[in-house]
Amino acid sequence: MLASFDTHLFWSALSSSPYWKGALIALALASASLGIAVVLGFFLALGRFSRFRVVRGIVFFYNWIFRATPTLLQLLFIWNALPLLWPVFAQGWFKPFIAALVALSLNEAAYMCEIIRAGLLSVDPGQELAGRALGMPRRKILRRVIVPQAVRIVIPPTGNEFITLLKLTSLASVISLQELLTASQNLAAVRFEYIEAYSAALVYYLGIVSVLMVLQSRLERKFTWSSRGRARVAAPAVPAISHDAR
Amino acid sequence: MSVLRADNVRKFYDDLEVLRGVTFEVEPGEVKVIIGPSGSGKSTLLRCLAVLEEPEEGQVTLEGRRPGPGEVGMVFQQFNLFQNMTALQNVMSGLLHVRGQSKREAREQALAFLQRVGLEDKAAQYPDELSGGQQQRVAIARALVMKPRAMLFDEATSALDIELVREVLDVMESLAREGMTMVVVTHEMRFAQHVATSVLMMDEGRIVEEAPPDEFFSSPKEERTQRFLSLVE
Repeated sequence: MLASFDTHLFWSALSSSPYWKGALIALALASASLGIAVVLGFFLALGRFSRFRVVRGIVFFYNWIFRATPTLLQLLFIWNALPLLWPVFAQGWFKPFIAALVALSLNEAAYMCEIIRAGLLSVDPGQELAGRALGMPRRKILRRVIVPQAVRIVIPPTGNEFITLLKLTSLASVISLQELLTASQNLAAVRFEYIEAYSAALVYYLGIVSVLMVLQSRLERKFTWSSRGRARVAAPAVPAISHDAR
Repeated sequence: MSVLRADNVRKFYDDLEVLRGVTFEVEPGEVKVIIGPSGSGKSTLLRCLAVLEEPEEGQVTLEGRRPGPGEVGMVFQQFNLFQNMTALQNVMSGLLHVRGQSKREAREQALAFLQRVGLEDKAAQYPDELSGGQQQRVAIARALVMKPRAMLFDEATSALDIELVREVLDVMESLAREGMTMVVVTHEMRFAQHVATSVLMMDEGRIVEEAPPDEFFSSPKEERTQRFLSLVE
């Protein structure tokens, strides 16, 4: 088997510009989508706690739409159908990267909403009560007390989401985004050297996720408020959401 | 004139009437101890006094008006220190986020109040790293730093290991001696006997009896009080 592995081709693929550019695009797309999704998901989560039934209804509808349909379909819809519905999207600025960013952000926001909601709910209600007893306005309680504590709970599942998103960026190959999978497909198609072409892509994905895992554990430590308990691993209160079918 | 008053307060949780028209007042410097079985409405009364709950009927007034933020201090059974803040940051939080003071001012005052409860050396510790008694003392400092007109204690020692109760009661007693107006829900009968101006018995959402501690414990008038005291002692 190994006899057929062209080490030279593997290394040259690994260091070729389509690969590292593709990896950069995948990383940028996943990071930007997650960033937008966290912000959007936070407000969606707050909407789920709203006093107004209409607001809760809108959030429910949003989550339903984006979780109940395949991400690939959403991506294709945004890339191909949106320009037909609104001419603004038929113009030159609406590049594959933008389309993928829109699709993945909107999609991911629905998942982040649920994660953040669970995180906010996991904070002991006594914390809010104490804030109110001091006379703190709701917004301050949320910002200074509840959100920082929810962050600790939300980090591990959000790390998961990033990994999922990174892999989902490969879907954007169908709308001609020159990301990592496209790079390996192109190489494989030209040379029929599938093993080397795909292996090089694997290495990039593994590399990015490994770096992320290190960053995540650092972040978790930052949000553990105990000098003794730094090593303690709090069990995440958020149930894992399966993404297998996305 | 009374500092803190509840006038004919009624409170419902869904269909359950938790407070059935409670009228209650504390004069400046008084320490009122409320006892009674669980579910009698003691905690709900405190929460109404702290404006954490809005009564369905009646009203709560502080010197004739609605209490402002931080004017009625509340200490909880479960301490409820902000877990993401050090002891010092906990005590500073009200000054920073309610009173809008500068960090420097807040820090100075917070340190003074930590010292007041004997915990200046724990300023940098997170709640997680403090004993229950220490946490409760920080919680008391956090309320006191707001210069409240009255302090409410909702079973402040009930969640503590037995050997940690004393340090919290000591702080409460010294507050009482300094003339702080206090309303204390507790099962500590000795505290009631020695510190209270008067003791109140609550049952089923009503105040059943109120008397100075000597009288309350030696010759309770109401049958309900007698029964409760015989169970507790």
